[in-house]
Amino acid sequence: MPGKNRLLPILALVLVAVLCVGALLWWRMRASPPATSAVQPATVTFRLNEPLVITLSVPVDGLLAAVQAPITRQPDTQSLAREALAALFADPIGGQAPVLKDLRLRGVYLDAAGTGYIDLAPVEQREVRASVWEELIALYAMVNTLSQNFEEIRQVRFLVDGREVQTLAGHIELSRKFTKRMDLVKQ
Amino acid sequence: MRKHFILLIIAVLMLAPGADAESSEKGLTVKNVRFFSYAAFTRIVFEIDAAAPYVVVKSDNGRSVTLSAYNGPLSVTATMPAVRDGVVKTVELHQESSRATIVVQLDAAAGEVKDFVLRGPDRIVLDIMKGVVAAPVAQAERRKRIVLDPGHGGGKDAGIVTAQGQEKAMTLEIAEAIKRQLLKKNADLAVTLTRERDQALSLDDRAGAANAAGAVLFVSLHAATGAGTRVYIVDPDEGSLAAAPAANKTFLDFDAGNELQERVWGSQQASHTKASGDLGRRLALLLGMPGGEPVQAPLAGLKAIDAAAVVVEVGMGQDRSWVAETVAEGIAAYVREDR
Repeated sequence: MPGKNRLLPILALVLVAVLCVGALLWWRMRASPPATSAVQPATVTFRLNEPLVITLSVPVDGLLAAVQAPITRQPDTQSLAREALAALFADPIGGQAPVLKDLRLRGVYLDAAGTGYIDLAPVEQREVRASVWEELIALYAMVNTLSQNFEEIRQVRFLVDGREVQTLAGHIELSRKFTKRMDLVKQ
Repeated sequence: MRKHFILLIIAVLMLAPGADAESSEKGLTVKNVRFFSYAAFTRIVFEIDAAAPYVVVKSDNGRSVTLSAYNGPLSVTATMPAVRDGVVKTVELHQESSRATIVVQLDAAAGEVKDFVLRGPDRIVLDIMKGVVAAPVAQAERRKRIVLDPGHGGGKDAGIVTAQGQEKAMTLEIAEAIKRQLLKKNADLAVTLTRERDQALSLDDRAGAANAAGAVLFVSLHAATGAGTRVYIVDPDEGSLAAAPAANKTFLDFDAGNELQERVWGSQQASHTKASGDLGRRLALLLGMPGGEPVQAPLAGLKAIDAAAVVVEVGMGQDRSWVAETVAEGIAAYVREDR
């Protein structure tokens, strides 16, 4: 039995080694971060200032109409959204529509929850005078322009001179979130 | 001994832990005054620049309440609101030598007066409860009350201005014509106008007056260029309209200092969505709106109305007498059939 006596310690050593390696592997698997998704989102790179065509919602004959407009590509959605609204205000029809013609764009901000903030100011501090319908259409021209072009912008809020106000022309409540309305769009 | 009986020396409200000696020496600055008329009381809110001690005194005869600064001057940069709801007659700024006070003249229905403070922004609130004597409005009649609201008004808000005139004048003219039509044919209706002259009123003033009058129906009149007429109801979507029904029932239960009541204000229209829709459809059909459906919109002037409520926007080129007759006919039919 001397051969058998020699084999037993070797087997015990092998068993301890296997257990140690197993424990090490188990510990490393627990400690490692969860596996990341195998499919990474596609990253598309554009050259800045490259032309880009967007769809404006322009007040025409008392309803909103889709008008294509070129803007300059920007590095982020917030800057692109500002470009889009600037194009609406610069549009020969949209920019001369009631309410919009009395306002200028101070800024557009986007928060992490998908709310776009449109900060407006009256042109030369003049009063915004409009009917209920004109005020409604002007507000949704801005709301639809943002939410139709940027899926990250799920709702829109309005500020005037950086602050919340009750209305622009005395009719439509501005202390709420706006989402796009297709019933105001010309079919 | 002064003539006045000091009802509430108040809360030498060291309003805040932050109300320091400096602020009390600076006195009190009132930068805005708002009022709200509810079924059981009238609330006057004084927005103040910074926390500071104040005194509220009720006169011996109980017909007025005076607000002054406890220490230092009272300065007022706000315009006093036009209140006349059976509980409060007027809110006026009095200047006696170098001392300013705000005097609230109480009307026949006024009872106990309570005051408290709200923070962020700092406000002093006066609640004037309706007393044992019922308000003249409630006492006078059991007729259903229609409130007509001629839009815009005052020196700064003419509304739209065209060759056919100013919106503020046109809405008043149509409101008066609707009132005449309603009273001529409907003895069971009473009609109130939120303004009967060229007067500036905030949207809250108008809603407060309608609610205090016990309106069963509210029609706000506006104008647009062109010849068409549009009817609008409040868009019940998104936001503050959801909380109203439960909150209405606890109006008098809230603690001084919590802002439930302020949050409830502006959501009263929620419990009248169906009634407003019915009224809106009836008027839209009669006025010949395409599709016969009122437009839904987030209307700032209707959200605090505690009754069926619509906005009617009349084209400046429209026959005004026809519009007045048609709206009066629609209102009368709605009240007869739906109530």
